[in-house]
Amino acid sequence: MLNNSYFSTGLASLILSLFLIFVAIPYGVTAPSNVTNIVLSPVFWPEVLSILLGITGIALMISGRSAVKDSVAELLPTKGCYKRIALLAVLMAVYVAAIPWLGLVWTSMISFVALAILIKTSHPRTALISAVIIPLVLYMFFAHVAGMAIPQGEFLRLP
Amino acid sequence: MTLLENLAAGFELVANFESVFALAGGVLIGVIAGAIPGLSATMAVALTLPFTFAMQPITGILLLLGVYKGGIFGGSIPAILIKTPGTPASSATILDGHPMVKNGQAGKALGMALWASCTADLISNLALILFAGWLAAFALKFGPPEFFTLILFSLTIIAGVSGDSLLKGIVSALFGLILATIGLDLVYGTNRFTLNDPNLMGGLNFIAVLIGLFAIPEILAMVWNPKSKEGETQNLGKEWVTFAEYKRCFKTIVRGSFIGVFLGSIPGIGAAPSAFLSYSEARRKSPNKENFGKGEIEGVAASESGNNGVAGATLIPLLALGIPGDVITAVIIGAFMVHNLQPGPMMFLNSPDIIYGLFMGLIISSVFLFLIGSVAIRAFSYVADIPRGILFPAVMVLCVYGCYAVNNNIFDVGVMFAMGWLGYVMLCKGIPAAPFLIAFILGPLLEDNFRQSMLMSGGSAEILVRGPITWFFWTLTIITIVAIIRSGMGKKKAEAVEHGNQE
Amino acid sequence: MYIPRIAKNNKPKLIIAAAMSAVLLSSSVIAADYPSRPVNMIIPYGPGGATDISARTISEPLSKEVGKPLVMVNKAGAGGAIGSVAVQNAKADGYTLLFARVGTHTVNPAMKATLPYKLEDFRFVGVYEINPVACAVKADSDINSMEDLVAQAKAKPGSVSYSSSGVGSLLHLAAAMVLKEFGLENPVKQATHIPMKGGGGAATAVLTGTATFLCSNSSSLASFVKNKQLKPLLVTTAEPVAGFDAPTSKDLGKPALEQLVGWTGIAGPDDLPDDIAASWGKWLATATSNKEFKEKMEARGSVIRLMSPEESKSFINAQYKQFKALVDELGMRVEG
Repeated sequence: MLNNSYFSTGLASLILSLFLIFVAIPYGVTAPSNVTNIVLSPVFWPEVLSILLGITGIALMISGRSAVKDSVAELLPTKGCYKRIALLAVLMAVYVAAIPWLGLVWTSMISFVALAILIKTSHPRTALISAVIIPLVLYMFFAHVAGMAIPQGEFLRLP
Repeated sequence: MTLLENLAAGFELVANFESVFALAGGVLIGVIAGAIPGLSATMAVALTLPFTFAMQPITGILLLLGVYKGGIFGGSIPAILIKTPGTPASSATILDGHPMVKNGQAGKALGMALWASCTADLISNLALILFAGWLAAFALKFGPPEFFTLILFSLTIIAGVSGDSLLKGIVSALFGLILATIGLDLVYGTNRFTLNDPNLMGGLNFIAVLIGLFAIPEILAMVWNPKSKEGETQNLGKEWVTFAEYKRCFKTIVRGSFIGVFLGSIPGIGAAPSAFLSYSEARRKSPNKENFGKGEIEGVAASESGNNGVAGATLIPLLALGIPGDVITAVIIGAFMVHNLQPGPMMFLNSPDIIYGLFMGLIISSVFLFLIGSVAIRAFSYVADIPRGILFPAVMVLCVYGCYAVNNNIFDVGVMFAMGWLGYVMLCKGIPAAPFLIAFILGPLLEDNFRQSMLMSGGSAEILVRGPITWFFWTLTIITIVAIIRSGMGKKKAEAVEHGNQE
Repeated sequence: MYIPRIAKNNKPKLIIAAAMSAVLLSSSVIAADYPSRPVNMIIPYGPGGATDISARTISEPLSKEVGKPLVMVNKAGAGGAIGSVAVQNAKADGYTLLFARVGTHTVNPAMKATLPYKLEDFRFVGVYEINPVACAVKADSDINSMEDLVAQAKAKPGSVSYSSSGVGSLLHLAAAMVLKEFGLENPVKQATHIPMKGGGGAATAVLTGTATFLCSNSSSLASFVKNKQLKPLLVTTAEPVAGFDAPTSKDLGKPALEQLVGWTGIAGPDDLPDDIAASWGKWLATATSNKEFKEKMEARGSVIRLMSPEESKSFINAQYKQFKALVDELGMRVEG
């Protein structure tokens, strides 16, 4: 009963709220010394929200104890799912990091193929062709029709 | 001159090849740009602006208006098909539009989006022609305290899109409100949660948050379990929207249009909140309440009429007062200025032909929107037939391009992915994403208007009840909250009874 | 199966060729064939704003002079800081330049302690337009001159407020500066600053009575003045501004206000090579003399005034120093 989604969400909200009130707001928000009125201070609004979050968190935890049913459809772990999710996280990080270096078009082609493999595509040949064509077509559109600056990277520049 | 004579004079100005061509071309450009995530209606209008410099004033402005209207509708196409709104205005359309695609009703959803958009567009244009003066005077009564109460009321929408648990909806909204505080403080200009990174000083980009929250979790779920949706065919479905369905949703569409007209005539709110408000009102009044969020056609009609209802009405403050209601109309003002036209009360006296020409053009634009939209949804709807193994990588690449293009910033792509993970955790925990989004849009408006009110009054809270408009919205807010609490308690009682009976 | 093999064989060659051209580009050969590819011009504000329209208008005649396309890149956010930082950190190869503006390059550096860039981080290749500043109140207000306004602020402290497009914007500083110039000792305490989001919001605030007055680019107020919704109190230039029936800073004997003008210019990172800066100075000169360009800009109320790289530098530095002195005197600096 205590590990249902209401309780865990409530607990997470409460922890986040305490973190905000005692760490993130004091260190992350600068309030000038000459603030005349507390309601005008930059910290006022974040503090109000954090307190509300804490209260809602407690309420959720309580309702979690008495909740009759947990309507969340459980996502059952499948074979290799944690490994695939971890690989996707790496893919996303590499995708963002590689854009300035390789350029958006080439990075997108590689990421397209990588994601297609991750989700075990049933059309590998089409995926490969699309991986080349889609980023190129998008590039042509954004760069030449909309006149935007698509990152080109350090190596191979497209016209 | 009477209104009819004015309109006839306006019609003469518009009834030529160039103007008609400009309108049609504008709508076409708008629909295509709107359908591409990242190319918002704003950007499409800004990119078209330089081409209008060389045209006749009326032709150029009609071209821009066409792009604007097409863009607002075009955004709903990817929102429905791939859960990625092309423009912020169409984010409410996702809620029921995408589930309809999953039910094999892509054609129906797109069709209803088009019909609702065109109807709302027409109503909005008529409102502009008939009530411009009256609504403009009303808009001038809106200062920060009035805005504050209006937005406070709008936040009660959250209850309507929370799904099963109101508490989870509130948590979701609070997350959105807190994330929206990142950036530079409005009143003092100091840093809030920026870690001294200039990218964070600008706050989180709205489109990046939007795409991250809705489209990326789908990809994560697919990676988590690639085979789970194998059997699911996502084909277009031969069903198109029927007239009976349109008739059933007609009341919702009209209500949505008027919500759009009202919010559109007040500068500074925009189409996204209007779509959400219309959606939650439709849900509250509908007999099919339970089906909302699971693929209810009325939900699509409500959101699309809510956002297109704004399109004509934003021209009310623009033409009657010279005030841009949003960024798009600010760009359109630029087009007026280039031709030495100053929108405002004097323009109705000095160049009524242009004003009434625009009115006629707007009416015609609703027709073009219908014609071009019909072709566009048939062309785009083939997206639903793409195998998922190809569609998902393509959506990811499209999201990255689109997200980058919004502000030419790679940082936004990172924000999009990060929000994708948050969205996925929320999905797993059954926390609805829509309240987050509404709060993220309205949160800064609520805080800014609150603090502006406090600055005006020197810190006295009395200003928040300074006039009839504020009283009106306070009353509405209180009534709504009481209703929410009562229905919540009623539900609990029913559940308890059911539970007791079971035992 | 034959086609893929070709592609395979060609790719390394292409990469080598690209790498070689990259090496060539980074060496001193730059200037001889500069520019050899499109130049990215960063606009630190969103599409449709005053800076964006100005930038896109000059890009037309300018790209003809440059000989390569100019790619307009909107990088908005944090009062122009995001776009400015992107150019500050860019390679000084002349392929990334900035449309700098009064807000990003004199008001912000003067007011914000935590700004992630400094004025010295940029090298200006020219300023091409000047925007006079005008102050205005609502048309039915009983305030008819700056003296009335200041008298009211003195008589009832806190009763006078001014709107701006945000902390550290030109509008924010301009209103404080004008009040100070007309004899209000402490404008920060005696008048209330009400920041709005964006210049349109600032003008609307005066129309709805949220704020008493505002000082903004004359071009953004022109249509309100013409429609008799706003009443101008002064313009900061020495010459009168068309359409504004208000005294100039010269008429009022306040020459210090002449420095209070908006401007738009083009800048690169501080280590931009001399020859590239010189080329841009030349291109700007030709582009700004284009008749069509002039007409379009003047229709929107801006004054075309070209400054050479040196002239730009001294003009901007002088404005920065004056703003900085005012900010320090009034205690308007944003710390943290």
